[in-house]
Amino acid sequence: MMILTGKTIVSAIRPPYPYGGEFVSQFLFALKLCWFPLLISTIAFGYGAVGIQAANFLVLFGALDRLGGFYVLSSIREFAPFVDAIVLAGVAGTAITADLGARKIREELDALQVLGVDPVKNLVVPRFLALMLVTGLFDVYALIFGIFGGIIATLVNGEPLGPFWATFFTNASTTDLWGSIVKTTLFGAIIAIVCCYKGMTASGGAAGVGRAVNQAVVIAFMGVFAFNYVFTQTLLATHPALNIPR
Amino acid sequence: MNGLLAAPRAWIETFGEIAGFCGQVLGQVFGGRVFRFFGEALRQAGILILSSTLVICGLVFIIGLQCGIEGAYFTRGTGTPTYAGVFAAWCDLRELVPYAFGYMMAAKVGTGIVAELGSMRISDEIDALEVMGINSMTFLCATRLLASWMVLPFVYIASVRSGFFASYLAVVVQIHEVSAGGYSLIFWMFQNPPDLLFSAIKAMAMATVIVLVGCYYGYNARGGPVGVGTATAKSMVLNIVAVHLIGMLGTQIFWGANPRAPIGG
Repeated sequence: MMILTGKTIVSAIRPPYPYGGEFVSQFLFALKLCWFPLLISTIAFGYGAVGIQAANFLVLFGALDRLGGFYVLSSIREFAPFVDAIVLAGVAGTAITADLGARKIREELDALQVLGVDPVKNLVVPRFLALMLVTGLFDVYALIFGIFGGIIATLVNGEPLGPFWATFFTNASTTDLWGSIVKTTLFGAIIAIVCCYKGMTASGGAAGVGRAVNQAVVIAFMGVFAFNYVFTQTLLATHPALNIPR
Repeated sequence: MNGLLAAPRAWIETFGEIAGFCGQVLGQVFGGRVFRFFGEALRQAGILILSSTLVICGLVFIIGLQCGIEGAYFTRGTGTPTYAGVFAAWCDLRELVPYAFGYMMAAKVGTGIVAELGSMRISDEIDALEVMGINSMTFLCATRLLASWMVLPFVYIASVRSGFFASYLAVVVQIHEVSAGGYSLIFWMFQNPPDLLFSAIKAMAMATVIVLVGCYYGYNARGGPVGVGTATAKSMVLNIVAVHLIGMLGTQIFWGANPRAPIGG
């Protein structure tokens, strides 16, 4: 997998660049597949997990206006990135593995090589770039709908929205936002590499493709979460200013 | 207008088919017909234990670490580091352990079932079963559901334990935010056995849906190796949405009206 990562990055940078059209079509493909599951997932997570539990806790102190500040911590820093990664890995990642796996089984990848077309450059690189970009952009989308879940939680508790926005914007910082977007972009890279690798090394007929998809999702989830832990830890430890409530 | 309505209509159609399928499988489990193949159910249970427990516990462990560090840094920010245990207890038991369990079930068990049943369908093994006079739906789907019901509560408890252990590691050993005793006091004060039961109910609902969806997509796969791959990908989409919706509904039902926290009166 590391070799594939190296090859992908090298062939993405080195000219010629024949992957423009494929890049656009993969980007649109991921966009079309993911927008709806992501919408439902982020609203559900934002309302259920963060909204209800945090509101429960804050209502006991009569401090529901702090919910906005809590959403900066939970939504921007944690759950928008990881719901984003889960949906992208589960939806777009599995589709990529299934697609490449089927091509491998039907020997289309070998045929491409015989024709002198490099499969890494023409198939993996556009998927890699498209998934990185799409995951990074979907993070913003997940944020917006996660906060929408927070708005629902505030309204359900019968509170006005003004204090929610006030604490939200005093607590939000640009460091949080770029941390979140950099994190999801790297998640996209992990997902793309794992899924392409598993698709391109599928073997053994129909059962093989299914098994490849299965392994790809499991490895992608583990990789994303392990990376998330390291990244959050580093970000929080190196930017103590993020932890001051305002 | 017709073109616009085509997609929702297709979704509703698929949803109805899945509901019908689930009804049949559940009927076979509750009707007791599945006990004719109890040996097969035990074999599936063994496979679940051996192949999935470790992965599920591993993912929950990472999530537990995550909850721990977020909790430690958050409570440090508000000047109440001794209360890191509250954040960890709620984050672990009530929300993220069920979610992580659902994600990993969908990824490992759900897609695994689709891949297995799908390739059986493609290579006509399911038809062969029917020809031999075995009810393939009972033999393949109902046994898997029974096996998951037998095994998964225990797997879930094991994964909760691994999440708790990870939060403890993160807060006490790694960040040194509070002493071990202080952490445990607050951590155990803010949860009680009914919370564990609610969280387990949530996780079991997710697991049931995931197994049924996996069986549906695998059992009805068509179109060669490509078809198996697409079916696997499709089942994952539905599973992720279902996991989130069940998580939200569970939280609303169990904790929406009553915070269950030892604060105030």
